[in-house]
This record gives sequence, structure tokens and C-alpha cells, in this order.
Amino acid sequence: MDTPDPVTPLTPAEQAFVATLNANWTREEVLARLQTDLQTAIEIELATIPIYLYTYYSLVRNNESGETISDAQLFANKAGGVIMSVAVEEMLHMSLSSNVLFSMGVAPQLYQHAPSAYPTGLPYHNPTGPVGPDGQTAVQIPLGKLGFEQLWHFLQIEYPEQWNAPPQDSNWDTIGQFYSYIRCLLSTAFLTDGDFQQGAWAKAIQPYNYSPNNVDTVYPDAGFDPWKPAPPAPTPGWADPVQGAAAAAVFPDYADSHVGQTQLVAVQSIQDAATAIDTICDQGEGVPIPDVGPSPDDDQSKDEESHYVKFLTLQAQFADYAGTSEQRPLQPPAPTDVIQPAITQADLLAADVLVNMPDNPVAANYPPLYSDIANFCSACFQYMLIMTETIYLVPPENQKLFFNEGLHRSMIWVLDKYIRTIRQIPISGGAYAGMMMGPTFENVSLGLRVNSFAGLTDFGNKAIEAAKALIAEEDADEAGDKVAEALDHLNFAAEAAKIEKDGDLVSVLQNVIYYVCVAISKTSADGYPMHLPDVGQYWATA
Amino acid sequence: MASSATPTPTPAPPPGVPVPTPYPYANEPAYPGPNVIGPQPEGMPLHACMGLNACAGADRFGTAGPPGGKGPNACAGQGYCSTGTDHTCHVQNDCKGQGGCGLYGTGEEMNNPGANDCRSLGSCATPINGERFSTNGPNQGQSVWLRARAVFEANWAANQAELKALQAAGKIASTQALPETPGPAPAAFAATGPTYLWISQDNEARGNMTACGSSGMSGAGGCS
Repeated sequence: MDTPDPVTPLTPAEQAFVATLNANWTREEVLARLQTDLQTAIEIELATIPIYLYTYYSLVRNNESGETISDAQLFANKAGGVIMSVAVEEMLHMSLSSNVLFSMGVAPQLYQHAPSAYPTGLPYHNPTGPVGPDGQTAVQIPLGKLGFEQLWHFLQIEYPEQWNAPPQDSNWDTIGQFYSYIRCLLSTAFLTDGDFQQGAWAKAIQPYNYSPNNVDTVYPDAGFDPWKPAPPAPTPGWADPVQGAAAAAVFPDYADSHVGQTQLVAVQSIQDAATAIDTICDQGEGVPIPDVGPSPDDDQSKDEESHYVKFLTLQAQFADYAGTSEQRPLQPPAPTDVIQPAITQADLLAADVLVNMPDNPVAANYPPLYSDIANFCSACFQYMLIMTETIYLVPPENQKLFFNEGLHRSMIWVLDKYIRTIRQIPISGGAYAGMMMGPTFENVSLGLRVNSFAGLTDFGNKAIEAAKALIAEEDADEAGDKVAEALDHLNFAAEAAKIEKDGDLVSVLQNVIYYVCVAISKTSADGYPMHLPDVGQYWATA
Repeated sequence: MASSATPTPTPAPPPGVPVPTPYPYANEPAYPGPNVIGPQPEGMPLHACMGLNACAGADRFGTAGPPGGKGPNACAGQGYCSTGTDHTCHVQNDCKGQGGCGLYGTGEEMNNPGANDCRSLGSCATPINGERFSTNGPNQGQSVWLRARAVFEANWAANQAELKALQAAGKIASTQALPETPGPAPAAFAATGPTYLWISQDNEARGNMTACGSSGMSGAGGCS
């Protein structure tokens, strides 16, 4: 049911702080602080994305499908869907904060603004938090595969603001309190709608670019008949009388889980800015219930769980949940018992639905050549951030096409596939020996934004050469003509070289080459570019 | 390099179980394979899936029809499968009307499968396997192919008027028949669309198409 929520009224603590601001601050101070805090908000949201994606890509969601799917596979698929559903909303939140800042005439900064190393605190996060399962209070979030401890770190990120908590924009305890500070700044007497009309509204990231669900947020609630046609088609006589995929599908995000008329609002007023900030708070922490605390749900129609509850529910299915010393907030209430069927990380690894990727990997610690393959992944990530910044420079009439050919293609057709390819590469030596490759999400330099496609191409060529060398080491004969064809990426529409399914290491390395080519050189049969767009034209005149 | 001491790469996902038996499409023409598309009527638009063709002879088998001398499909809306370049994902379509739908994209895109405006603005893989359901918008949880057929029928009059204008301008041969109404999709698939069981030739050729996504819920294998 699409029922937009109203902006949440200020709490007594927020009202008191607004009164203090009105009495003691100047307009200039409020504007400057708001712009600084919005850039910090962008970096907080950005910081969560590699963390959630790394854990997401540790999961293998479709090793098996059908009516007799195992408990381990079912859980891995659910965990993947839930984590992706949150990651998608973090991308929304980053876009919303960016739109508010852009409306004030300030260009959002994303490129090389992700965490510089892992484990990491979030920007201006209180480094000491509630006691975790290990008895420690440090807030240091790792890149890590799925497990009970990793989900605790997710809870550290999403720990919900309690009712009437003080606004904080430094040393903050919860993201809700950080945004509460921004809500207060927005509520001062100093601001006018004109302050949010300093960036062209039509150039903001538009609502039509956001979708709450996709095939990766969806997961099955139980075994299903994958052969059954989707409804309302009648069940054919040859199909089993059990539920099909559509009936089993859980959609963890809802179209109405937002404040105002749309999820991804383009800002041109104080009300728009407040709407954007409130959507971020509610989706992360739940709708606040006056005098009680955060609701388990992120909207008043109670369809979608908050990020905190989504992750807590996953964590509560781990056997480790029983007797854990982790300290949870009073609201919303936590499950009292382990959710059945209970699972362990060892179960997931044994079932081959969890990839044994290292914690906090860095490319420099991969063996030679592997590091070049890892670096291209980081380069693609950084280029995606540049493309996001570029949206604000693209003529509005071209935004949809640029978003599809830039952001969507890079996310789904390059980064997603590249990571799911490299995680099939075993590491035989060095710090991560015996484990599988994972992305490092480092702030590699692509040079100036105007030249960044060339920078991306350089990283791509190094990855191709590395894959070529590894293939030669592995078994040159096995590679055959197909590899030679793939390496001619300047003239070759990489499609033909793609190895359709996982296989031996040579095939995996061929796929590395293929996906690099998708990013930097792929063309259609009629010569139209099918690679990522070169953003240089937009930055040359910026 | 890899040795017996290091983990082996993850194997490809096997078919969902149990696989229906006996194969229910033994009397239907076999799916021709990825990007195997017969000669098309000159100047007529390509399309995203079975039953979405604008005229006789426009389908996967083309003007020659399927092997066995059955002849080409007799009318608009009766074709076997897509004629646009096969692709597996959102924004990978070459041209207008060639986008599938349902996996990635907005609710509006998912409500208009096979009716995208232009290159890179289509939504998701073609052909549209019958198991696929929309993940966003008013068609969420419902068949993408049935929605595509409904959109095809709803847009029929406008699209035919456009084709007639092109014909009047000499861009489509004057001998090309432009029917007033579309016929039904091939009977074995009219209620469902082309199932992955048929597209994969009873799992003998699972590479015939891949729909994107890792949840295993696209009904067409998904990306590894």
C-alpha cells in the first residue's frame, strides 16, 4: 500500500536545541555547519556501502534451487536479499544527502571519500559503543564475510536512536542522533527555501532512478518449484502443486517506506530537505514512537522493517545468539530466543554457500598479479563514485540514459559480475593463503575526474595483463584461441569470449578479462559503445 | 598457482529440482539457440519475446519458419520468441521495443515490458521466460510475459498506425501486410509465455539464455 509518511515532529530534545541555535548562532554559522554535516552524512552513507557489499558478496545464493533447498542455502539466500535490500537504501540515503547538499549550491564529494582502510569507524562516530559479543566496546567495522560477529558490526552501524536522545554531529552514538542534528539545523529560523535553490533542481538525482527492489533483494521464504510459470498464468498440468518462485518471493523493501511523495526527492525547499532526512532516519532506525522509542518498522503502514531489525533478525538465527553478551537497546525489542532453524558460520562454509574471503583485504597483500586484478575492482568502485558526482553535471534530458549506461551498467554488469568472478580465484600464497579473493574497495586514484576514464582503462589493462599472465602460468593450451580473442579488447565486442558458466581457473580468469572489457571497451555489433561512459566531457567544462 | 591444497572455484548452479518429466514441449519447434535469429521481414520492428511480433514471419525462426516445413508464423502476435539481440540484463538492449523486464528497473519500466523508448532504456533480459515475475511496480509478483502481451495488445493500434505511416513513406515495402488485429501466441505458450524448460531445450542447453541476478528466482538460471 503506497501511503507516504509525514515528516516526524521534533522531539522535546530537538526543540530545545533549535531554541539554543536560534538564540546563539548566526545564519552564516548555521549554513556552514549544515553544509559540513551534509558532506559528513554523505561519507557516513558511503562508508556503509563497501561494508555491506563485501559481506553480501561472501554469500552464494543459488548453488541449489528448487523444492528441496537446504536450510543453509535458504538462509544464505535470505541473508543476501536482506543485506542487498539495506545496501540499496544506503545508496538512496547517499543520494538524498547529496541532493540536499547540491540544492545548497555545493557539489557532493564522493570520489576517494570512502574509508581509507578497514576496519573503520564511521565519520565522527563515537569510537566506544555498546558491549559486543566479544565483550569489547570498540566501534571498528571490518570488511568481513557473513557471520554472527559481522552482523554485530552491522548493528553497530544501525544502532537505533532512542526516544528524545540528544542531537549529536560529532562523537555521535547513533546515526539517528547525527541526522537529528541536521533536522535541528534545518528547523532554525535562519533558513529560507531560497537556500535550497542554489543548485538546479532539474540536475539533482531524479526520483525515476530509484527502485526499492530488484531480483537481488528478493529471496524465497521456502523451497519452491522453479519451473512453474508466474501468476496469473494457470499451473500447467506438468508442474508440481507446490508454490512457484513468485509465490515464494519475499520483497524486503517497500515502495511506500518513505516520507513525502517519493523516495528519491530532488530538493528545492526546507520541506524537501526535511523530507529527505526523515526518510533516511526512518529507513535506518524505524519510525519513532513518542515516549517509547523506535518502531521495528520504517514506515507507518508497517510493511518494511528498519535496517536494525532486518540485521538483528538475521543475527538471531545464528546459534551464537543464545547467551551472547552483546548489548542491545531497549527499543525495539529483540527476539528472545534463537530463530529456528539455527545456523552457524561453519554450517554455511560447509554447505558452500559462504565464500571464505579474508577480513579487511588490501590489494598490496595479494600475491603479485592478483593485486592488479583486485585493483581494477577498486578502480571501478571509484569510477562509480565519479559517475555519481557527474550526474549533477549531465544535462537533465540525458540523465536517465547516463544513469542507465553509467551507474546501472557499472553496478550490475561490471562490479557485481567482477566480484562474483574474482571470488572464485583461490589465493595460494601470502597473507591470505588458502582463502578466496575478495574486493578491497580502496581509494585508488584514477587521476583528475576529467581524465578518470583513462585512469580506469589503465587499471583495466593491468588487470587484463595480469589475468593473461596467470592464464599462461596455469595452462596456456587450455586458454586457446578464445583468450587471444578476448585480449584484443580494442576491436572486440567482448560478448563472444564470455565463459557462460563457472568452471576451471582459466575460465574464471577469462571472465575477469571479459568484465574488464565490458567496462572499458565493449561495443555493440553496430559499433555503438556499450562500455561505461567517459565522463571527461562533463568535467572539462565544470 | 592453484594446487590441490587450495579451494576450488564454485561450480555452476545445477537445475532447480525436481525437473518436470516428461518434457511437455516435445511437439513444439525447438528453441533455436542464443542469437540464432532467422531472416526478418524487411523494415519491420524487432521485438522482445514470443507473441509480440508485428506481422507474419517475424519471429525467431524468421520468414522461413521452423525446421520441418511448418512455415512461418501466420500473423502478428503469433511468433515464437524474440528477434532483438539477446541480452541478459537491464540497459543492454540495442533498440526500441527490445527490452525485457522484471529483474532490475523502476516500477514504471516493469509495467511496460517490451515497450522501451530506445537503446539502453529497456529493462532486463530477453527473451522473457514465463517464470519471470516483476520485482517492482503495479505488476510486482506477477508474470512479466503476460504483462508484456497485455502492453503489446494495448499499444497495438498506435504501433500499427506508426507502421502504416512508415509504409506510406516508403520505408516499409508496400507488399508487407500489416494486420488489423494480432493473433494469439503459440497455443502451448499462450497462457504462460515461453518457459525456461522450452528455452533450455529440456535443460540440454542451459546456456540458451541467462537472466541476471543471484537470488535464483529469475527462473532462468541467473548469473553465476
